[in-house]
Amino acid sequence: MDLLIGELKRTWIQFIRYPAEVIAGIVITTSVFYGLFLSAKYMVGPGFAFGDRLDAVVVGYVLWTLTLYIINDIAIGLQSEAQTGTLEQVFLSPFGAPRVFLARAFASLVLRLILIVGIVAILTGITGSRLSFPITLIFPLLSLVMAGYGLAFIMGGCALVFKRVQQILGVFQFVLLFLLAAPVEDWSGPMQYLRYFLPMLPSTGLLRDLMARNIGLNGAGFAFALLNGLAYLGLGLLVFRWAETVAKRKGTLSGY
Amino acid sequence: MQLVEPPLHHRETSPPDNTVVLATRDLTKTYGRGKRRFEAVRQVSLTLHRGEVLAFLGPNGAGKTTTIKMIAGLVRPERGQVNIMGEDPHQKARALRHIGAVLEGNRNLYWRLTPEENLEYFGVLRRVPRKLAQRRGADLLAQFGLQDKRHTPVQKLSRGMQQKVAIAVSLIHNPQLLLLDEPTLGLDVEAGETVKQLVRQIAREGCAILLTTHQLDVAEELSNRVAIIRQGRIIAEQPTEALLKAFSSSTYHLEVEGTLTPYQSQAIAELGGNVEGSNITFAGSPETLYTLLAVLKPLPILSVQRDRADLTQVFLKLVQDQQELT
Repeated sequence: MDLLIGELKRTWIQFIRYPAEVIAGIVITTSVFYGLFLSAKYMVGPGFAFGDRLDAVVVGYVLWTLTLYIINDIAIGLQSEAQTGTLEQVFLSPFGAPRVFLARAFASLVLRLILIVGIVAILTGITGSRLSFPITLIFPLLSLVMAGYGLAFIMGGCALVFKRVQQILGVFQFVLLFLLAAPVEDWSGPMQYLRYFLPMLPSTGLLRDLMARNIGLNGAGFAFALLNGLAYLGLGLLVFRWAETVAKRKGTLSGY
Repeated sequence: MQLVEPPLHHRETSPPDNTVVLATRDLTKTYGRGKRRFEAVRQVSLTLHRGEVLAFLGPNGAGKTTTIKMIAGLVRPERGQVNIMGEDPHQKARALRHIGAVLEGNRNLYWRLTPEENLEYFGVLRRVPRKLAQRRGADLLAQFGLQDKRHTPVQKLSRGMQQKVAIAVSLIHNPQLLLLDEPTLGLDVEAGETVKQLVRQIAREGCAILLTTHQLDVAEELSNRVAIIRQGRIIAEQPTEALLKAFSSSTYHLEVEGTLTPYQSQAIAELGGNVEGSNITFAGSPETLYTLLAVLKPLPILSVQRDRADLTQVFLKLVQDQQELT
């Protein structure tokens, strides 16, 4: 618990130490998001199933920015700490690196969620778009975040072993866009089973149901989503642990 | 100055084993494969006791940092064992609670955080309860004279102060073993002196310190024992005093005021001394030295000095001798 509070405090202090940077960040993210939002509106056209479709697009983009952030979070954090020279001190923790990075993931997620809620509030204010936020939203969001952090730990593991992962992270944006924005709920045939096994897909479908289509939470659907999230998080932690061993064997833990 | 040949390994003065904090056995690390394979560290065995400062010296690339990182669990050895207070950090992350480290070339601190915030964060990271970390942090800031800077972000502090904060942070969990990799590098004279005082104080409080440095005067001043590594191998390990003594010759240099009488010059020559004006060189036993001093009576003696090797000379001789051997 102390570790969680410690990480929350560190993340928060580092974030707000320079207020101008914080405000610029929020303005830029909101503007970029608004731009995307406008172009989506333009593409869809004003006369075509406006309400539902646009809300779905909004949900997709919110999820995209959140998961993109999550997935880059650990890898980029590792690289920047290797450069600033604090990484080895983190690996000297008697908690062991995976626990420290889990606590860090949680702390940065809390901070990010606060920002996203703020930005979505600003956007819905500007556009007049109405999104429904049922309390059950928290469940698929949880399974989505778990799977997201699973991928994040895999990318973090890659960063520990291969050091330069910017290229992979760049390509990953497109994969993510597919995973989050593709309407896989409409898939039929053998493809419909695939969506249970790809990372995050079961959760994004549920989120779209809840937020844009106003359909209640499907128990079986959530069980699959949770399993999917747990499996990817477990896999991510295993890969990370393996990568830590490899980096220590190669003596490249602090390299960048 | 003439250096004599000493025994290179000396372990007689080791304190009893119940005070052992660190023991490494045959640590070996190889990097690369095939033709590019090289052994960075070969069979390094070190023992460090409570309150002892071991200066771990060697030329660049000799394997110092790799050894330190193997001890800290940051680099996995190919062979050999690390034992810190009976635990192996490569087996159990919990063993890391005994270690504090200030690593070379690293900032070791979060620059956006203040010293106080760094101390609290790293305390928690080292499993110290948060409230206790805050209290210990405040004590360390007072002890290190950093109280007025406790709310200043680390990036705005001078290099010397940053290093003091880094050392304070490395002590937040009250470790038994402190690893200091080049702690005085890049510091001005005053900051260097402060860091040296802190190291002495920390050792007095019972912490075992493994120190690497290229500043051999610093090593000579601070260490109880010296280990010299070259090309991954320990080539000498001895108590600092014994090492210096072993490399020092027994030649004395005396200076007197005025001129010696012919009788005095002759008596000194008979004792084996050599007179040049008011300077006398004498290579003999300490007992005979007193006879020689009696001969000089009543001339005022300005100085009596024994040739004493410093660590720089010892280090260079050992490293160069090994180079010739290979």
